[in-house]
Amino acid sequence: MLEISFAKQALPKTGALVLLVDDQLAADQLEATDEATGGAITRAFAAAEFKGKPGSTCVILAPGAGLSRVVAVGIGKTEALTAKLAEEAGGHALPLLSRDTHASLAAGGLSEELAAHVGLGALLRSYRFDRYRTTEKAEDKPKLASLAVLVAHPSAAKEAWTPLKAIGDGVVLTRDLVSEPANILSPAVMAERCQALEALGLKVEVLGPKELTKLGFGALLGVSQGSANEPRVVAMHWYGASGEPTKAKKGAKATARPAPLAFIGKGVTFDTGGISIKPAAGMEDMKWDMGGAGTVVGLMAALAGRQAKVDVVGVVGLVENMPSGTAQRPGDVVTSYSGQTIEVLNTDAEGRLVLADVLAWTAKEYQPRFMIDLATLTGAMIVSLGHEYAGFFSNDDTLAQQLFAAGETTGELLWRMPLADSYDKQLKSEIADMKNITGRPGSAITAAQFIKRFVGETPWAHLDVAGVVWSSKDAATIPKGATAYGVRLLDRLVAEHFEGVSPTP
Amino acid sequence: MTPRVRIGASAPKAAARVMPVREGRVPFGFTEAAAASGFTGASGSACDVLGGATRVLLVGLGAVPDEEGFRSAGALAAARLCKVPRIALDATALLAEEAAAFALGAALRGWQPDGYASRPDPEAGRLATIDLLSTAPGIEAAWHVTSAALAGASLARDLVTEPSATLTPDGFIARLVPLARAGVQISVLRRKELEREGLGCLLAVGRGSVHRPRLVVLRLPGAIEAPPVAFIGKGITFDTGGICIKPADKMWEMRADMAGAAACAGAMLSLALRGSPSPAVAVLALAENAIGADSYRPGDVLRSHSGKTVEVVDTDAEGRLVLADAMSYAIQKLRPAALIDLATLTGSIITALGHEMAGMFTNDPALAAHTAAAGRQVGEPVWRMPISEAHRSDLDSDIADLRHCTSGKFQPDACHAAAFLREFTHDCPWVHLDIAGMDSRETADDRHAAGATGFGVRLLDRLVAQHFEDPHRA
Repeated sequence: MLEISFAKQALPKTGALVLLVDDQLAADQLEATDEATGGAITRAFAAAEFKGKPGSTCVILAPGAGLSRVVAVGIGKTEALTAKLAEEAGGHALPLLSRDTHASLAAGGLSEELAAHVGLGALLRSYRFDRYRTTEKAEDKPKLASLAVLVAHPSAAKEAWTPLKAIGDGVVLTRDLVSEPANILSPAVMAERCQALEALGLKVEVLGPKELTKLGFGALLGVSQGSANEPRVVAMHWYGASGEPTKAKKGAKATARPAPLAFIGKGVTFDTGGISIKPAAGMEDMKWDMGGAGTVVGLMAALAGRQAKVDVVGVVGLVENMPSGTAQRPGDVVTSYSGQTIEVLNTDAEGRLVLADVLAWTAKEYQPRFMIDLATLTGAMIVSLGHEYAGFFSNDDTLAQQLFAAGETTGELLWRMPLADSYDKQLKSEIADMKNITGRPGSAITAAQFIKRFVGETPWAHLDVAGVVWSSKDAATIPKGATAYGVRLLDRLVAEHFEGVSPTP
Repeated sequence: MTPRVRIGASAPKAAARVMPVREGRVPFGFTEAAAASGFTGASGSACDVLGGATRVLLVGLGAVPDEEGFRSAGALAAARLCKVPRIALDATALLAEEAAAFALGAALRGWQPDGYASRPDPEAGRLATIDLLSTAPGIEAAWHVTSAALAGASLARDLVTEPSATLTPDGFIARLVPLARAGVQISVLRRKELEREGLGCLLAVGRGSVHRPRLVVLRLPGAIEAPPVAFIGKGITFDTGGICIKPADKMWEMRADMAGAAACAGAMLSLALRGSPSPAVAVLALAENAIGADSYRPGDVLRSHSGKTVEVVDTDAEGRLVLADAMSYAIQKLRPAALIDLATLTGSIITALGHEMAGMFTNDPALAAHTAAAGRQVGEPVWRMPISEAHRSDLDSDIADLRHCTSGKFQPDACHAAAFLREFTHDCPWVHLDIAGMDSRETADDRHAAGATGFGVRLLDRLVAQHFEDPHRA
């Protein structure tokens, strides 16, 4: 992973140098660089008609003064620079630095906080999943190993960097999980990767098929019964507000703990559709049908990594949906953890079955302040909104507003979709409490109505992330592939509204 | 056909009497029947008492009914009594506005499509007359306003129901006589004017059909000095899809692809009949999207009325093309204060919102909020949807100013359509209602008749009443 460091502002002697140029063509170290290179920078800007527009770049090769290249990145108006725009500037610079092993980035003109965000943007863009490339030639691999961000007060920048680095690590973890092929990442392997987070101070519980059968996770088990890979449900606890619980002495009253926040993820490690099998074209995408769970895991790592002052539980339901002699059939009726029965009319509407049990169990087991679930749930959501917004549903207007605002801040955008009884009616089954599919019209909404039946009175939001967990083109801070959508959004939500709030007795 | 509504103090000819009942307030004389059937006055419930001198239907209002509560109770009555030729609604205990909403609900639910059966079943009764029993102060005035909305909705439903063989663009225009009678000025642009004015998109879409495209402009001068509110309607009298032909299954539904234009015409009739003081205009883009030797093709580049060039990707995305020209023409010629377009535009919006809400897109959040509020009040709900940067950049074209849609599966086509239309709004406050899922209902229920809904008429009428009738508005 790219090493980000912070150092005192100065003109570097070697390597690549990044300048953050505003729309007045001013930048930290620009004059010094221009002087040292005999006016090369000014000439290059004029020749390339570089105006410092946000997202625009200009590369000047071997300008002199020992530098291998100068990469100018436009940032528009300095006073309008937000954390998000700063990250994008870092992200835009990154691919232009791949031939150097070391680069410096002059950020003396920015606050240390914003400079740290520039570093985060570069880190996020540098992500590559190349675990399985064995024959790639060395010269084809990006070489950049370290980026020094040059600022007025390096210690202040390092302080700002510590929590951002934790968030970056969380994003990278999620991207790794989502990128892994399904023959590697089975439910059991993903559960092991969750357990590895104990190193960060999380407490991790894993439920296997025996426990799940005993607890009555009938809906989830129905989905997994066709696969040779056993299901897992993993609960990851972060006790950042109350401290890890100690075993209460016999007879002693358990101390009151604050209700945790709960994040729940759909983790179908591969979704063939089951007996209602999917068409072959594009089925390979279904390795990322655990994207919701992947985000919850990365989020928990980020919160623990930055020592968030809040109690959180992350719960992921991990299954593989396969057709086989033991697979569940269309027409089967399963009894969910909540006791409600479900007629499974399409085995490819499996995500809601997994969520039904995990949500109902989480609500009962932890009585959380709220539950937010993430799931790559419906194609209808992609047809509704495309690939920029996740659609979300909520039974709580305050939570909905907080989520929407966090999306605007982090650029992980959300659009609220409706819930209404008129949609709920469509779930009526002739022989069970409900059926698991409806017709295509409004089918992301009817899926949300289905899930809502397992939430009870807990404040809840459901994020249908089918269109946003995987990207087919590069963006400033997100190389194409796994996006880790939601890690930053939900980290922001927690930081903004739920941290440092005194625990309710 | 919508049942006639008569207001009076008695109804000797009615074969059934409907009594609205608030929760827990079953009227004296019916308590035993109500108890026997478990009826308490809960909303959505009814109790049919057949043993007495006249048939009495108790319908539940719930504890604290709102406007929609009275409408849906009326609708339930009409649903249960749809074969009774004449019914009386006992609104003697209701305020004027409540009585009007009650009757409106019954009349809307009592609508039935005009039959084309050559030998109608003589045994099948049909609700034709509703007596509204009310002597409430202000009932005449309340019903004047409500009946105008009802008439507009009825016109729209009849237009949507009519088959495309007779409801051609010219056939549509011929059916606007009630508007002329109510004082709406009607002008029609035919081929020469359309060519002269440069409505290249509308002309291209209509080119494959022998029934030529038309642009209809409806005007109500109103009583206040202010720029008009403008309604723009998609009026594809039949949509085969053109060269990008649709699958045969359910293609017949495409006779309703003019429901946006029908709603705009209906709303203009409502405004005229109730004498709205607001100046209002409607521009209806009428064309048949047929397959012919001269049909426009995928890959063609069209010059729109606004001057922008458009690369055609899919000839079945014709609605946004005719709307673009109609919107641009309206803005240039009529200088409206706001633009609200209605169109059965995309399958994508049906996938997104189903048949319960229309999709709403806007460049003006305040106007959108007013529109949503009006929709909620009249029971025509809309849900706001986004237009993002990506939705617009997906429409970038290599050879023209923009493409009108994208190709491939899983496209957010409703958002793309809205992003396309926004390019023709010239910053005029604008709301786009994609009513593709709302023009017709496949099956009847207690609240809704099967068939054409007239969706949008009452929403527009209410929106104008609440936000464009201020004599001091700019």
